[in-house]
Amino acid sequence: MRLTGPLHNAKVAARLGTVLGVCFATAFLTGLFSHVLQHPGPFPIPARPAGLYRVTEGVHVLTGVAAAPLLLAKLWTVYPKFWAGLRELRERFTAGLTDLRARRRPAGLRDTVALSAGRLAVIPLTGGAIFQVVTGLTNIAYWYPWPFFFTTAHYWTAYIVTGALVIHVAEQWRTARPALAPGIGPTRRGFLTAVGAATGVLVAVTAGETVTPVRNLALLAPRRPGRGQAGVPVNRSAAAAGIEVPAAYRLRVHGAVRRERAWTLEELRALPQHTAVLPIACVEGWSVSARWTGVRVRDLLRAAGVEADATVRVDSLERGGRYRASELAPAYWTDPATLLALRCDGEVLRVDHGYPCRLIAPNRPGVLQTKWVSDLVVT
Amino acid sequence: MTARRVAYAVGCALILTGAVGLLSDAADDHPIGWALWFGGGIVAHDLVIAPLVVAAGWALRRVPGAVRAGILVSVLVVAGTLPVVLALGRKPDNPSILPLPYGRNLVLVLAAVWLATGALVLWRRRRDRS
Repeated sequence: MRLTGPLHNAKVAARLGTVLGVCFATAFLTGLFSHVLQHPGPFPIPARPAGLYRVTEGVHVLTGVAAAPLLLAKLWTVYPKFWAGLRELRERFTAGLTDLRARRRPAGLRDTVALSAGRLAVIPLTGGAIFQVVTGLTNIAYWYPWPFFFTTAHYWTAYIVTGALVIHVAEQWRTARPALAPGIGPTRRGFLTAVGAATGVLVAVTAGETVTPVRNLALLAPRRPGRGQAGVPVNRSAAAAGIEVPAAYRLRVHGAVRRERAWTLEELRALPQHTAVLPIACVEGWSVSARWTGVRVRDLLRAAGVEADATVRVDSLERGGRYRASELAPAYWTDPATLLALRCDGEVLRVDHGYPCRLIAPNRPGVLQTKWVSDLVVT
Repeated sequence: MTARRVAYAVGCALILTGAVGLLSDAADDHPIGWALWFGGGIVAHDLVIAPLVVAAGWALRRVPGAVRAGILVSVLVVAGTLPVVLALGRKPDNPSILPLPYGRNLVLVLAAVWLATGALVLWRRRRDRS
């Protein structure tokens, strides 16, 4: 089979590849940022700007959505190379085998090895790109038809595909740069316009799940955040988490404190209340701002007496699960907007939103805004 | 040449980081399942999806360009939203996940795509006549 249409062409491949490369680089960097926020390392993360994670994660997911049609178009453009490469390899191997049978040294052995290495290098590139886009799009739809934990697999595969992309760009630089010169003809321009239109449509019908002003356009987004507490989506319901709030509920502060403290819900409500407008920004790319009212975490910690550089673990009533606890570095717990919220948009917190109280802090992934908080453990 | 060697070294180091990471987190990312999905993507594309596109392109070879563009946009939009439209991630305890009528909305979006395509066809016809 020989595919020789005008679309299987370096001019088209170079244009699609450039945009796709920008998408993957953006997704890699924003993804790394999300990873660092979730797995605090040696670098302190600032709690400000409050909406930073909302923006970076929205960009991460939307560039992934945009990459889907671009990747399909790019693979289509270079598809003949797959067969041409296989054909050349087969010819070289048959020739080599003939040489070996005749007890000759195979001709062009170095070229065969180089060619094989070149073909093999395409595996991490295409395999990684398809894997990242398919698992990413499926994960934001809350569907997990695979045996691995998405976050870990998506994270490590990002290094593989980025590495392969760096090699690919270095390899293709010389052919791609002249191919980007203007003048591609109407057929190719039409194809690129159609692919661009599909990309635009996909982003337009998804972006409203995080860009609130265009929320009504989010016809095919997995989430539709709205106004009020009922409009704030949740990832894990109280039923799924097996939450039963005990009658003798107390919020306890203990660990490395001068005196352990405990407050009933009534006592928490009697403490000075503060309000902050902060987003819930989920790793799956949706986000929505809400008005949270409750007690400042720093007030509770100072009432118990803590060191200024202490780290605080926020424990939930949840018995299990990867996100039953989260950590607050000093930059977070000292921030005046970091609250144990008792109310959302004026109403008492619903149990799915973390009743009796939940953590809400600026610039923080939603999975770390621990719900159903029972303990602040100072370490 | 030096820049290229540096790029190769950086690329190989990144690939190695990913591979070692995958193996070191084996309990979480199930390397065999991962490999099946990784290789499965290539096989599904190169041996199933791409040949189907070749066949479709051949079947549509006499269709006007604007209509083919409409078909291409529709197929890409369906492909990109399939996990949402299938809505297999719905959970009975959490109505905030996948809350919309996605089948109907997909029809609306495709209708808009075909309205635009129709307008493009009419405009081209008029332009070619004059």
